[in-house]
Amino acid sequence: MCGIAGVLYKQAGDHEIGKTLIEMLDGCQHRGPDSTGFALYGEDKDQLQLRFIVPTETQARQKAVDNIASLLARHGATIESEQSVGCSYQIAVNFEGDLLRFTKDIEEHAKLVSVGHTLDIIKDDGTAHELDSTYQVGEVKGTHGIGHVRLATESAVRPEAAHPFWATGFEDIAIVHNGQITNYWKMRRRLERRGFTFHTDNDSELVAVYLADKLKQGETLDHVLETAIADLDGTFSFLVSTPNEIGYAKDNLAAKPMVLYETDDMIAIASEEVSLNRLFPGQSINSTEPAPGTFQTWSRSI
Amino acid sequence: MVTIDLSQTEITDANNRIRDCGRDGQDVEIINPDARHNIGVGLVDPITVNVQGSAGYFCGGLSDGAHYEIEHNAGWAVGDNIYSGSVVVGGNAGAIAGVAIRGAEIVVRGNMGSRAGQVMKAGTLCCGGNAAFMAGYMMYGGRIIILGNGAAKVGQDMSAGEIFVGGKIESLGNDTIIVDMEAGERDEIMEFLERYKMSYKGDFTKVVSAGKKLRYANSEPRSRPQPFFVSSNSSNYWNPKVQEDIWIKGEVGRYRIRGYGASKPVPHLNDIAFVKDVTSRQYKSEELQDVNLKTTVGGRYGAKPLSLSMPVMIAPMSFGALSRSVKIALARASRLSGISENTGEGGMLDEQREEADQLIFQCLSGRLGWNVKDMQRADAIEIYISQGAKPGLGGQLMAKKVTPELAAIRGIPQGIDLRSPSRHPDVLGADDLVIKVEEFREATMHKVPLGIKMGAGRVNDDIKIAYKDGFDFVELDGLQGSTGAASTEVLENVGIPTLSAVQEAIDGLQEIDAGDDMDLVMMGGIKDGVDVVKMLALGADCTSVGTSAIIAGGCIACMQCHVGTCPVGIATQDKEHEARYDIDLQSQNMHRYFESLRWQIASITKALGYDDVHKVSRDDLVALTPEAADITGLPLLSEHPVLNRPELGLEVLDRKAG
Repeated sequence: MCGIAGVLYKQAGDHEIGKTLIEMLDGCQHRGPDSTGFALYGEDKDQLQLRFIVPTETQARQKAVDNIASLLARHGATIESEQSVGCSYQIAVNFEGDLLRFTKDIEEHAKLVSVGHTLDIIKDDGTAHELDSTYQVGEVKGTHGIGHVRLATESAVRPEAAHPFWATGFEDIAIVHNGQITNYWKMRRRLERRGFTFHTDNDSELVAVYLADKLKQGETLDHVLETAIADLDGTFSFLVSTPNEIGYAKDNLAAKPMVLYETDDMIAIASEEVSLNRLFPGQSINSTEPAPGTFQTWSRSI
Repeated sequence: MVTIDLSQTEITDANNRIRDCGRDGQDVEIINPDARHNIGVGLVDPITVNVQGSAGYFCGGLSDGAHYEIEHNAGWAVGDNIYSGSVVVGGNAGAIAGVAIRGAEIVVRGNMGSRAGQVMKAGTLCCGGNAAFMAGYMMYGGRIIILGNGAAKVGQDMSAGEIFVGGKIESLGNDTIIVDMEAGERDEIMEFLERYKMSYKGDFTKVVSAGKKLRYANSEPRSRPQPFFVSSNSSNYWNPKVQEDIWIKGEVGRYRIRGYGASKPVPHLNDIAFVKDVTSRQYKSEELQDVNLKTTVGGRYGAKPLSLSMPVMIAPMSFGALSRSVKIALARASRLSGISENTGEGGMLDEQREEADQLIFQCLSGRLGWNVKDMQRADAIEIYISQGAKPGLGGQLMAKKVTPELAAIRGIPQGIDLRSPSRHPDVLGADDLVIKVEEFREATMHKVPLGIKMGAGRVNDDIKIAYKDGFDFVELDGLQGSTGAASTEVLENVGIPTLSAVQEAIDGLQEIDAGDDMDLVMMGGIKDGVDVVKMLALGADCTSVGTSAIIAGGCIACMQCHVGTCPVGIATQDKEHEARYDIDLQSQNMHRYFESLRWQIASITKALGYDDVHKVSRDDLVALTPEAADITGLPLLSEHPVLNRPELGLEVLDRKAG
């Protein structure tokens, strides 16, 4: 139960994606006061960027960090740089190998929440502005990103249960979701049989894994979203982001709100128009509400 | 003309100023609205509010007589529940435009989102562009005009009213039919369009209810009165009760319907006892006067709380399920005993309002009888999500009870088997509910406590949502809670017992460190003051009694509430039957019953060693059965740490009670 937001600037460049998403999420924070999260796409870095959720208490944190170091060593990955902030531990690593095997092993022993060369997922308990003051989200520049505010209904309030979710084993993919997947267990068992593991009981994680699985098979994002609408039961509006695209899918019952606004320069999508209007204060914008059971994707120029 | 800048003014302050302008007869313009929610909610004066930009959810909602002009777009539920007046949206409207209107004119010049006009009762909803799917979903009356196309399922499950579509209809909804337009109808539409300066030259397709599903194909037969204890009889498997049930199903070919709640035995408060030896305590009966029983409910966010003389309310029961006379008697008894009465579904009666000192007004999914004026004269408001008797389902009111008088107050056609919607049109999740809560706060100037009524299902999750969504109090109803009509499958098998419900609620609130500022009112099988004290000891702040109040007031528990021919004039709308009900006599009986609760609550509190009923705690209780111990976490009698160490004696507990 949540609010979602996404923005993509069509031209390459250093756009204020952090500030933009903070504004949009602050606009719909009433939909989810428990936790907030961002998936931000900045410059393409040489090293693989990993972000973990670690305990905030010093001793436990050190233990978690040491554990991560030994995990990485096991896979021959070397740490180039590290940063510890809020509930997270972020590192840049040199890694060449099978990412799925690598992350699967790591995820069994540590709370890995973001994997990619351009993607960084920042999420924690608290509001958009609270996250900004801890993680300086507002300073992040890039081309696109998605964000989420969460009101926990069925799973616990913990940073790792916050959105966005990265798509396990598939770098630079993230999703945010508003709604409820009612065939969660059926779909989860189906994916578990295919070798995927789940780290929360959050149905949004399922959406991420589902999409990743399809993308891994080489399907286009458009096609993946189309099959998602057919395969997933329930009420949902979700956004997905890849290194160059964002897209949405909306369930057949149109039970979860979503509006979008597109200009020549950008596309912005949010649960409520009040979030879009934050980007254009004092103006009336020609937003549209996608029809039930539809999807669409947008790409940035490369 | 007064100008309010929403970039500088909080919405609550803005709405207060709009209301002041309404009283002064001054029009208002809103600048920099930027799609903010709840603009102009709760206005009951005939001024014009001009919104210079886009509005968010519920713009103009819960109003009566005002006119709104929104220059650009509107969010969900524009014009929610308006009685009279108008809203004109220059751009597009989101989902459920014109939801539950009772007579307004809503014009959307652009497109409108899904489920437009859901549960509307009267008035006109007009759309210049296309309407998304399920336009006119469950509408009870009024007129929808769509100049563009109608997407899938136009008129889904509509009971009455008309939908006119100028463009293409993707598909018709359940139980609808296309009919020819009547003489004069087109002229009326053209007159309407002209008034709002909309030009249209094409034809219309008229969609109405086919009327095949407005009544059950086979009515529930009038069976012999089934005393509650017979229905609960499980002594032999294929007993006469079971046989009769099977015969009747063979006749009607569907589920059975009856009144009352679950009749099978489930773990309950009887399975718990007070741990102390109350007989050893001596006190004079005058001392009972000094035991504090006063209970306030709903003060969490500064609204004026309900102030009850004891931790007891009357449970929500509708005018509809019950006769007018019974609602008056209940209201009177509540006043005489200093507790609260509750409207239940279906609107507020003037006599009920006059008789009751404290009246809770309940909002249900069908918005039957729901309106801003009664909200503003209520002492508390309660959003019904579900009830213990039938979690997840809407109410049922059989045609015999849907009289012209009742249909008028609810705004529905008379003589249908009314099956209320199971969901609120504008609450499809906890996130939407947040905005609904704000709308109700705005409509009542933040002065009236706001509660949520829930049937006990997944209480541990639900109670957290209620807390986070900002409710002042929760009325939580266990499996044993009763109803005027529901299917027996649901009555007996859906939901969890009241005892489990209270424990899950307390645990859930503790898990999120909620403290005790949101009041928990427990109901479902509370039969006396002993139950009330046990419930408070388990952690509830207050209790609510429905069935026991009705029984005190003359009910013979025959469980035929749904039939509509109640022999004692309680569950009926038949004037002849209702005439059997003596309001003076029965209100006094109920009042005396409530006073017996008071005496019991005070006596037990005193006997447990307290001067305030709100001081009782889990330490005062012991579980008598393994099931009750398992559900509540209370020590089982045979394992009680003190009771099984006689050498310690009961003084240990006495000292603790101090």
